[in-house]
Amino acid sequence: MLTRREFAKSTAGVLFVSLGGQAQGTIDQSRLEAWLEIHSDGSIIARTGRGETGTGASAFYAQVVAEELSVRPDAVTLIMGDTDRTPDGGYSAGFLYGAANLRKVAAYAHQKLLELAAEHLQTPSSELSVSDGVVSCAKGKVSYGRLVQGRQLSVTIPLRGVPLRFTPPGKSGVTGLEWDGMEGFTVTGEPRLKPISEYKVVGESYPVPGIPAKVTGETVWACDLALPGMLHARMVRPASLGSTLLAPGSFDKSKFPAAQVVRKANLVAVVSPNEWEAVQAANAVAATTKWSEWSGLPSSDNLTSALRAQEWGAPAASKGSEPEVRLTLAEAARTISASYEQPYIKHAPIGPFVAVADVRPDGTTTVWSQIGHLQASRARIANLLGVPSQKVTVRWLDHAGQFGRKTFGGDGAEADAAILSQITGHPVRVQWSMNEDFAWSAFSPAWFADVKGGLDAAGHLTALHIAFHSPHMLDARPLGAILAGMPSGTVQRGGISDTQWPYDRVKFRLEQAYAMDNLAWASAYGGLRGLIMRTPGQRQLNFVLESLVNEAAAVANADPVQFRLDHTTDPRLIGLTHAVMKTANWEARSSPSKDARRTGSNMAAGRGVSVIVRSNAYWVGLAEISVIPTTGVIRVTKFIVGVECGKIINPRQLDRCIKGGIVMGIGEALKEEVTFDKSKVTSTDWSKYRILTMEETPEITVVAISRDDQGFGTGGEAPNALPPPAIAAALFDATGVYPRRIPMTPDYVKRLLAGEKC
Amino acid sequence: MANELIVNVNGVAKSITAPQSTPLLYVLRNELKLRGPRLGCGMAQCGACAVLVDGQEVRSCVMPVSAVAGKRVVTIEGLPDLWAEQKGLDHSAKRVLHPVQQAWIDEQVPQCGYCQSGMLIAAVQLLARNPDPSVAEIKDAFTNTPPSPHLCRCGTYLAIIDAVRRAARQMRG
Repeated sequence: MLTRREFAKSTAGVLFVSLGGQAQGTIDQSRLEAWLEIHSDGSIIARTGRGETGTGASAFYAQVVAEELSVRPDAVTLIMGDTDRTPDGGYSAGFLYGAANLRKVAAYAHQKLLELAAEHLQTPSSELSVSDGVVSCAKGKVSYGRLVQGRQLSVTIPLRGVPLRFTPPGKSGVTGLEWDGMEGFTVTGEPRLKPISEYKVVGESYPVPGIPAKVTGETVWACDLALPGMLHARMVRPASLGSTLLAPGSFDKSKFPAAQVVRKANLVAVVSPNEWEAVQAANAVAATTKWSEWSGLPSSDNLTSALRAQEWGAPAASKGSEPEVRLTLAEAARTISASYEQPYIKHAPIGPFVAVADVRPDGTTTVWSQIGHLQASRARIANLLGVPSQKVTVRWLDHAGQFGRKTFGGDGAEADAAILSQITGHPVRVQWSMNEDFAWSAFSPAWFADVKGGLDAAGHLTALHIAFHSPHMLDARPLGAILAGMPSGTVQRGGISDTQWPYDRVKFRLEQAYAMDNLAWASAYGGLRGLIMRTPGQRQLNFVLESLVNEAAAVANADPVQFRLDHTTDPRLIGLTHAVMKTANWEARSSPSKDARRTGSNMAAGRGVSVIVRSNAYWVGLAEISVIPTTGVIRVTKFIVGVECGKIINPRQLDRCIKGGIVMGIGEALKEEVTFDKSKVTSTDWSKYRILTMEETPEITVVAISRDDQGFGTGGEAPNALPPPAIAAALFDATGVYPRRIPMTPDYVKRLLAGEKC
Repeated sequence: MANELIVNVNGVAKSITAPQSTPLLYVLRNELKLRGPRLGCGMAQCGACAVLVDGQEVRSCVMPVSAVAGKRVVTIEGLPDLWAEQKGLDHSAKRVLHPVQQAWIDEQVPQCGYCQSGMLIAAVQLLARNPDPSVAEIKDAFTNTPPSPHLCRCGTYLAIIDAVRRAARQMRG
């Protein structure tokens, strides 16, 4: 199978590659060939405007297309992301949505091919069957390749959607990226889709196409691109989060003869044709650049009180009936009140941001990067440079997993590279450093939540009221544009309030306030930019909800699993829970354990459970931990995770994604925390921003249930939301003290168990 | 003009013109156009840039190229040749992947894959000194071998353990 790049070189001369677009740099996506090409040799090209996020979507797209067309998945080559060669756009994170489009396109193509075959074989299409790209009937057979030989498959793809665009400047003169177009285009109509029960390819562990090249070193990553005349750039960032430039520094020209300082407003960079020279000269410039003093942060030690001091106002989003919940809580035999919180955390990819931009004097611009929303990035670059978006092409290349920070196509090195390329007249490659990435990329915002629950005399949870507070998490403005004082767009306010409620026997009221601007918003660059991160919004809320359910079960002296089953009628959740508990040999009892203790240097053991329901997928997590009270060190010794997400597309890849998600979630539960003093982020390397290591990774058992009758759910995303509440419950089980904050670091656990206020 | 350095990279003697203090990573990537080792932290804290120098894992982001003069550097691009040499295979007709690479494919280890070049290098070194590592030994090697743990943000650690054990079986024959 060809890699994407080899394919790009080899397409000249094959059938159906002309994608005559309506506008320069845009393909006409109402034509079949914008999505799918079927070649006379039987090979198939599928195109999606979305990129690979590291979850294996590139395999799943091929499987979905192959399934609808009844061909082998290795007959399908995928082109992803590039704005001039792919349709649909939208979020790369939304595989299901992107797959739904390609599934329908493939179904339309399949219909057309069956019509041609019926004519060719003189047989009604209802009597035809297809296997491995060959259409057969009693009279004979014909391959897809033969059917398309010498002709264009003329199929119009019906679409709904609007292209992404910036709003015209308003009174403020600031333009914003319209959120309407963020979803990308939707393929409409109802072509006949193959029933899931007849699937042969979807449901198999088809290998991810890009993996061999990644283990041999052949993959061209975003950091690998080298263009003729390209300059390497290193950025010199402000001394604090709010410092403005007083005087740019300098370097010894005799030591670094090819380097030069480039400056636009507060954007300072050093460029050189030689990367190491750029690094060294940038270090020299950073050491001598004068910035204004600034100290407008509360420091991370005072974070919660700073958040609580905000004027939050009325909730931006709510669910459930407030009067009904208020009344039920008033009638409760017992009530529980609790407040939960989490500091800022980072997406923290292993590879810092990198991008290459080539801005020509006429405004024609090409940008290469790993971007989760290609069309949004294109619109942002066009807005930044003041050129029509038709002049901008954004090309997707592999890079380190970004976990949501690239989803809106803003955060990253693309703007830095485009600005520097425009100024220098050269293609420019901008490589952020790890320290810079930790300090200056966007954050998953801190939050706190106040919860009240009511139980009746029989110990049933009757009502819950959750008030969740977080700064906005949709600030995708590119840093380079902000620092350079160039158009960066407005901040989209709000957060993600998509939360599913698994316990239909409990009345609940959820109030979500995303009413707070970035922390230090009033500073020169808008403070700590908040952005979504894997399982956004619901991950945070689920810690609150599931922790409260675990606390309520303890108050009711009930087994936390049975307590959940008693509060839901959802057969999918009940069925999955039983399957997981069977695997776990779960012994029903209430928490805390009879051996629970909060002192001593011997290990105490505990277990805890959590549930999440998200995007047509059901999840149950079970953590077993040990903790040493005197050191506060928690070890997760075992994690069992169950999923039922409708039809499983690729069992092995799902298993890999789930285990990875659990690893990420354990790290979030135990270790991850952004720290800052009054002027800058201080957790700027891996010794200070700590993620889970291999040694800390427990045995993880996956219980995966595939069903043919529930469509598709999101299989890969949500497992990272399971460990924090399950581990918190396990710590309670082991010690009898309930942690209401993550991360559960040794210091926090020690203080918690010592009865200190924390 | 910098003094000329000779470094054996993936079995071929290379003349390096970069200044002696240039980190090996920048030489491998920009001068020799290798894409296996990649910049992660730049401070020997993550392992994404790991390469073998005379069979020992080093973090190429902090190792000056002068320190590897006359030595043998192997990146993932050179693993098939390393394996062929160790086993006395003639793979001029068909290049055989190193069993560690093949195990990474068979176990579908990479998610984003950014850290995996360093993980492969760590696995090759581990299996060279311990042909049959237990799960605990694998965890220990990838976490406690100086200068830092090998970090994976996608959380592929258990897949790596599966792949190391698969490769170990393969290599023991």
